[in-house]
Amino acid sequence: MLLSIEPDGSVPIYQQIRDRIVEAIATGEAPVSSGLPATRQLAVDLGINFHTVSKGYDLLRQEGLLRIGRKAGAVVQRDATSGPPRPGWQEDWASRLRTLLAEAAAQGLAAEEIIAHCQDIVTGFVPVTYDGPAVGEAS
Amino acid sequence: MSAAVLVGDVMVLLFGGFMCVGPLVTRPSLRFGVRVPPGYAEAPVIRRERRAYQWRSILVAIGALAALIALGGHTSRWPSRVILITEVGADLGCFWWAHHQIAKVKSAEGWFAGRRQTVVADTSWRGEPEAFPARWLLPAVAVIAATVIVGVLRYPHLPAYLTRGDHRVATSPASAFAVVVGQLYATGLWTGLLVLVYRSRPDLDTADPAASLRSYRKALGAFGRAGLILLACVDASVLLFALHLWHVLHLSGGANLLVALPVAAGLAGFLVTVVGAGRAPARTVAGAQATDRDDDRYWKGGIVYANLDDPALLVGARVAFGWTVNLGNPIAWLLVAGFLTLPAGLVIVKVATGI
Repeated sequence: MLLSIEPDGSVPIYQQIRDRIVEAIATGEAPVSSGLPATRQLAVDLGINFHTVSKGYDLLRQEGLLRIGRKAGAVVQRDATSGPPRPGWQEDWASRLRTLLAEAAAQGLAAEEIIAHCQDIVTGFVPVTYDGPAVGEAS
Repeated sequence: MSAAVLVGDVMVLLFGGFMCVGPLVTRPSLRFGVRVPPGYAEAPVIRRERRAYQWRSILVAIGALAALIALGGHTSRWPSRVILITEVGADLGCFWWAHHQIAKVKSAEGWFAGRRQTVVADTSWRGEPEAFPARWLLPAVAVIAATVIVGVLRYPHLPAYLTRGDHRVATSPASAFAVVVGQLYATGLWTGLLVLVYRSRPDLDTADPAASLRSYRKALGAFGRAGLILLACVDASVLLFALHLWHVLHLSGGANLLVALPVAAGLAGFLVTVVGAGRAPARTVAGAQATDRDDDRYWKGGIVYANLDDPALLVGARVAFGWTVNLGNPIAWLLVAGFLTLPAGLVIVKVATGI
């Protein structure tokens, strides 16, 4: 997995690390049970403070995407094949999505274009293959 | 001329040759230690400074050679040491001047203005790191083993005094086997450094990280193998010296220079490998938005790296292919101190044993 960050960008580095790993999980580059480098190793490879990497990993752990153990290190805990999201997650995500889409609308992007962008991005993700209730029916 | 003087002279020649070529064969994104964005690798100021540097470094090498010839036949080690130090200073001055000129134009013209500057890591590197070429350590170990075996067999037959040049020292296990201690010391320290190098981070090109990681693996392998061969050559020179010391080989006059041959050959091969590994094709990906991060602020003169936020101990050097310590990491200072103990340790061995 290639992890690319902008150290001098406006988005905090730990957030960028979290975002890139979420994207890698969605595209199948980092499937469930795959390991990620130890915080110190990733910090060395990116040339940043290891507390920053640790903060990014911790965000992923809180979101249930990563499991961090003393022996196994950081391991991807769930992906598109792992079942529906936990209760309440979808409302929070929809709220953030609303803001993101609103930015596009406010900047003058037509609804068709916004949907086309969304379609393009979703096409690149691993399809959801678990057997179980639809995401919206999870409770 | 003794073998030690010959090694000194050879180092002057090799360093001069290396500095004529080494700084010119770096990655396209690095020019004289200055980070350069895509499209600027052949900027007018870079072409001008490269030409000027070529001439200056050739003049420095010719000057050093002329000085060696003028002092031809000298028997002291000091002339070649003074020439080498002067040559290093002059070459670094030439490098710094080119660096300074390019950095000035880069800053004035804002080469990185408005570019997305990124750093990229390949997580597969830690999962499948390049294996240390331990097999290539065998020649050095074999040479040390041969030295020990010959020493043990020869020790009962040694005279009461061992002579080296004008020195005479009473034969004892310490004085007879000091050469083996020297071999073990150099082999241990150099191998340890190479292991650290193998654990350091690869410098990946943002334009094509996967291809640059493949190139890095190849260059690292070549560097590691050449480094271990150099080590075997150093140990072989020490073995030849030991054979002379133990009266197994009688080297006199010009034959004395044989001792220096393995080291000279190993150094030449190592420097050629380093220069060859430094060459990397320009990577340009059509439509690529991101460029390598402009990290010049952490480099002093394009040579010394100090970044307090970077936990790395060793980072890729900006001259040819090699590594340098991150002086922003406190452990790096310990490493530098450890490295300086190599000559200090050898001096202690020498004083303690009289050899």
